[in-house]
Amino acid sequence: MSDNYAVIGKNLPKIDGRVKVTGQAKYTGDLKFPNMLVGKILTSPHAHARILSIDTAEAEKLPGVKAVITHEDVPGLKYGISPARWDENIFCIDKVRFVGDKVAAVAAIDEETVYKALKLIKVEYEVLPAVMDPIEAMREGAPQIHDEYPGNINTEVHQSFGDVEQAFAEAYHVRTDQFIGQRTYQSPIEPHSAISIWEGGKLTVYTSTQSPHYFQYYIAREFGLKMGDVRVIKTYVGGGFGGKLEPTGLEFAGAVLSRITGRPVKMFYDRHEMFAHNRGRHKQIMKVTTGVDKNGKILGVHADFIMDGGAYTSLGIATAYYAGAMLPLTYEFDNYKFDMLRVYTNLPACGAQRGHGAPQPRYAFECHLDMVAGDLGMDPMELRLRNARQPNTVTPNAFQVNSCELKACIEKGVEISGWKDKRGKLPPGRGIGGAVGSFVSGAGYPIYRTNLPHAAAIIKVHEDGTAATLYTGATDIGQGSDTILCQMAAEAMGYNYENMKIVSADTETTPHDFGAYASRQTLMSGAAVKQAGEEVKAQLLEIAAEMMDVAAEDLDCREAWIYRKANPDERKPFTEVAREFFVRRGPLVGRGSYTPPKLGGTFKGAPVGTSPAYSFCTQISEVEIDEETGEVDVKEVWDVHDCGKVINPALLHGQVHGALYMGMGESIWEEVVFDDKGKIVNGNLGEYRLPTALDMPKITSELVDSVEPAAPWGVKEVGEGATIPTMGCFANAIYDAMGVRIHSLPLSYEKVWRALKDKRKKEEKK
Amino acid sequence: MDQFGARGKVLAGGTDVLSMMKQGLLAPEVLVSLKNLAELKQIYADPARGVVIGALATHNDLADSPVLQERYLSLCQTAHHMANNQVRNTGTAGGNLVNAVPSADLPPLLIALGAAVTLVSTGGSRTVKLEEFFTGPRMTVKKDNEILTEIVIPDNSFTGSTYHKFGLRRSGALAVVGVAVAVAMEGDLCRDVRIALGAVAPTPIRAFKAEEVLKNRPVTDQLLEEVGRCAAGESNPISDIRGSKEYRQDMIRVFTRRMLKKAISEGHV
Amino acid sequence: MSMEAITDKHGVKRYLITLNVNGDSYTKVVKGNTVLVNVLRDDLDLTGTKKGCELGDCGSCTVLMDGKPVNSCLVLAVEADGREITTIEGLAQHEQLDRLQDSFVNHAAVQCGYCTPGMIMSAKALLSKNPDPTEQEVREAIAGNLCRCTGYVNIVKAVLAAAKAEGGAAR
Repeated sequence: MSDNYAVIGKNLPKIDGRVKVTGQAKYTGDLKFPNMLVGKILTSPHAHARILSIDTAEAEKLPGVKAVITHEDVPGLKYGISPARWDENIFCIDKVRFVGDKVAAVAAIDEETVYKALKLIKVEYEVLPAVMDPIEAMREGAPQIHDEYPGNINTEVHQSFGDVEQAFAEAYHVRTDQFIGQRTYQSPIEPHSAISIWEGGKLTVYTSTQSPHYFQYYIAREFGLKMGDVRVIKTYVGGGFGGKLEPTGLEFAGAVLSRITGRPVKMFYDRHEMFAHNRGRHKQIMKVTTGVDKNGKILGVHADFIMDGGAYTSLGIATAYYAGAMLPLTYEFDNYKFDMLRVYTNLPACGAQRGHGAPQPRYAFECHLDMVAGDLGMDPMELRLRNARQPNTVTPNAFQVNSCELKACIEKGVEISGWKDKRGKLPPGRGIGGAVGSFVSGAGYPIYRTNLPHAAAIIKVHEDGTAATLYTGATDIGQGSDTILCQMAAEAMGYNYENMKIVSADTETTPHDFGAYASRQTLMSGAAVKQAGEEVKAQLLEIAAEMMDVAAEDLDCREAWIYRKANPDERKPFTEVAREFFVRRGPLVGRGSYTPPKLGGTFKGAPVGTSPAYSFCTQISEVEIDEETGEVDVKEVWDVHDCGKVINPALLHGQVHGALYMGMGESIWEEVVFDDKGKIVNGNLGEYRLPTALDMPKITSELVDSVEPAAPWGVKEVGEGATIPTMGCFANAIYDAMGVRIHSLPLSYEKVWRALKDKRKKEEKK
Repeated sequence: MDQFGARGKVLAGGTDVLSMMKQGLLAPEVLVSLKNLAELKQIYADPARGVVIGALATHNDLADSPVLQERYLSLCQTAHHMANNQVRNTGTAGGNLVNAVPSADLPPLLIALGAAVTLVSTGGSRTVKLEEFFTGPRMTVKKDNEILTEIVIPDNSFTGSTYHKFGLRRSGALAVVGVAVAVAMEGDLCRDVRIALGAVAPTPIRAFKAEEVLKNRPVTDQLLEEVGRCAAGESNPISDIRGSKEYRQDMIRVFTRRMLKKAISEGHV
Repeated sequence: MSMEAITDKHGVKRYLITLNVNGDSYTKVVKGNTVLVNVLRDDLDLTGTKKGCELGDCGSCTVLMDGKPVNSCLVLAVEADGREITTIEGLAQHEQLDRLQDSFVNHAAVQCGYCTPGMIMSAKALLSKNPDPTEQEVREAIAGNLCRCTGYVNIVKAVLAAAKAEGGAAR
């Protein structure tokens, strides 16, 4: 394959850059419709309580209030994004299960009236004992959160490949370590928002979503509507990171409020309500055991995890499987056992956050491997190199890995970070640490069972050929899919990026696509777009062949010129040929769709973690620790990625920066904290500390050459993978600096301080 | 304010009062804005009284003030590291005192520098030493009908002063502990010292015993460590989301020692 | 307050204010507790100014008031009476983007774009005061603007590049 591309591989400016810097880009909260009402949801103040009565009479009487709804006014059908466990109602019927659980909603003429009305709704509760800890929740006699799930066990996973016990018995060295992750929250800067318009038999929802398709599917199901009568339109979205993948109460409540009032209804969460709705990263308790031979070759691994799921399932079943499924991707070993319990608690439900289930287990595993390396007296990156996965291999849990340049990533990371001169050799207080990671380029199977293709695209060329519009269900939430898909379309058509237009993520005008999750769009949506572009080109070349009186196969098209391959000077402009096509044959349209090959094994849970391709990366960080305060000063971070062919390097590195940023926040600063009544105590951006511009270190993002055979132009993912090694690499750097191992996230200053204090105490005793 | 009493709330910059109102923590019937009283924004040296800071001077006004940069650069530095730039453009010095948040940044340093505040009502005005101003979290001796109009730092013999906010990120962080010191050095002897601590008690506090340990003894690293330990013992922090009691007390030890060393060797910084 | 007030039949006071926004003068009637960001977005349809937290923590609603960046969610509309307000919509001169806007596009400093208007306003205030800032000064100026997408890497680059371009034009 020639690497001589005209459009892909170039730093072209984002297609929506200009509207975003001028303030013209409209997010859902910026939209206005005539006669529009404002709606809000009333939520539970208790972590666990029986609803005895709800009295809405006073609220309904307030002038300006147009509708007040409770569970009696909405379908009682349970829903959830994971079809295996539909356990949520639009509004709670018998009891509330966390502080923030949804009880009622109001629509009124303005925000002030809505807030007044919410205060007038009287809900009588019988407060029940609540449980906030997953271990407590499993104990005999613990409060039961859902009657259907005894012992509060939401999901149980037991997978075994090879013979782990045998491997441990034969190992030169076996060790077990336990680590604890924390609850974090995606914290997109744009709050969730939805505008519902129920007109006649048709429901239109403008919303801040990562997947118009799943919203359409679940909204239609809930209200017994035909999919075709539900139109979900994504506006510009101010970040998602996993938190906007499933419909929230805003779409369901807004739809009913709109149907009752006959008016458009805008609903939104404020920042605190976002934290309460949550669906952020699960807290996991992770025990890892590894057996190695004398040379550090991994013989077997047992991962034994428990996760706090919160009050509902959300995407948590997939999260539970992902947590273990992704571990064997980076290293080659045959014997692997994975046990997981996802447990209900009276806290907000957890879901998918960037890296879906994988970053915390990766933190545990990468810390643990550094400790194994320490036991063997081996350089930890050397241990990783010895075990690093090779291309064209299969993991013990039956994932086919095609391209894999993990070794090259490690080697380059070691080189550019100056690892060999630094590890164990930096001045006191300073340290360097590394970790690796891998992630799917799209999930092999959709969230609910269907044989629909995963992605589809249509390209329509304007009748005079001066523009082409890409219609795709792919969902740009800021990561830049609109831009790179237009680059891909132009490349496949032989056209110019500058003349591309895009209509995306509107279930009525764009063809089906599952949306922005599991890092799927570059590969999957890209494959559909490539096919559509090639179909346009083939049709164009046919007409051009007639016009130029040559055979179509002797022609090609590049940068909007159709030319004879044998003599490129013999050429016609794209516009002329496209216009002629329209005159002779009507609209010039190309179509494409993508369905992944059948992937994975046949054991229970085998689909989770399958993907047509996997990205790989190494991260290395250098930190300086204040030995008296425990303050962690991040000096520099290096990321080296194998993400296949790159479509837009500037956007790609931007993804690495952002993923690393989020991972860094989660490593050291971020944690959602609750009081003993289940109330969030830091549900704001002052005390839930996203790093600021002053906290960010120098970041170096580098690539290794790689081409994925299973993907269009050899592409792979990058957006989520770069979050995966981050926490582990910081924990390992802190260890190198101070000789203390922090066994729980975040690696806060106080934890470092405490570990140093304990270490000094121990040394004094000796 | 006579007209409204407890029903009213004075709004200076609004950064604190408005955010409390939005979180439902405060619901005044009347907001009285002072923003347009230009004379309350000034920062100047008054030969008779010392350095005068108008209550409505914003944090950025403090940071940029030539008078403060010359006399008390430590105050400029403190103001510069508060909240974030947007808040520093609207939040005021007076507001930072009147709202009496235990982790506020200006009170410890102003207490260390011996500042006083002027409280004015239609009945007249009175002067209160800042260290006697605070009575508890969000509580002060200011009566509902009084307005805080200015902060005065009387001329003094201090040769150095400084403040450190120990926060959990570099911008927009509240103090885990705040440590302010002012020292009057004569050679290697410390003739006078004031140590004020924030976020470790219901109000900002002086570490009187620690001050006595330091006074009139040759300054050594060992002595400063002893002073730090003493200050830690005098603090009475709570455990909360930003830090445990134990951690906060140890941070008082560390930063008292470090800030003393800095003020002794570098002056007002 | 010296401005004109009227009391409605429920006894709620409303104030007549004049805002100078992006060079244009608007007269509005607002309640005492109305915040500036809501007047800009709801009454003037200037939705480029975003709301992210409404507590002064995120900086999405940053506008310039008399040239200084402020969180418009923490400024009462009555306080903005008579002040010069600049919003993101006021930066471009007709179709000509401000250097900062151009630089943000060219340096891939925009991802979801939600923090972008506030970020650019903070950067604009910095460059007006300090045309040749250091990287540290840029980081300080935008530290009150949270961005969840970019790690600030390309934003800092974009601001520094815009400063250079502006300096170059002045020389």
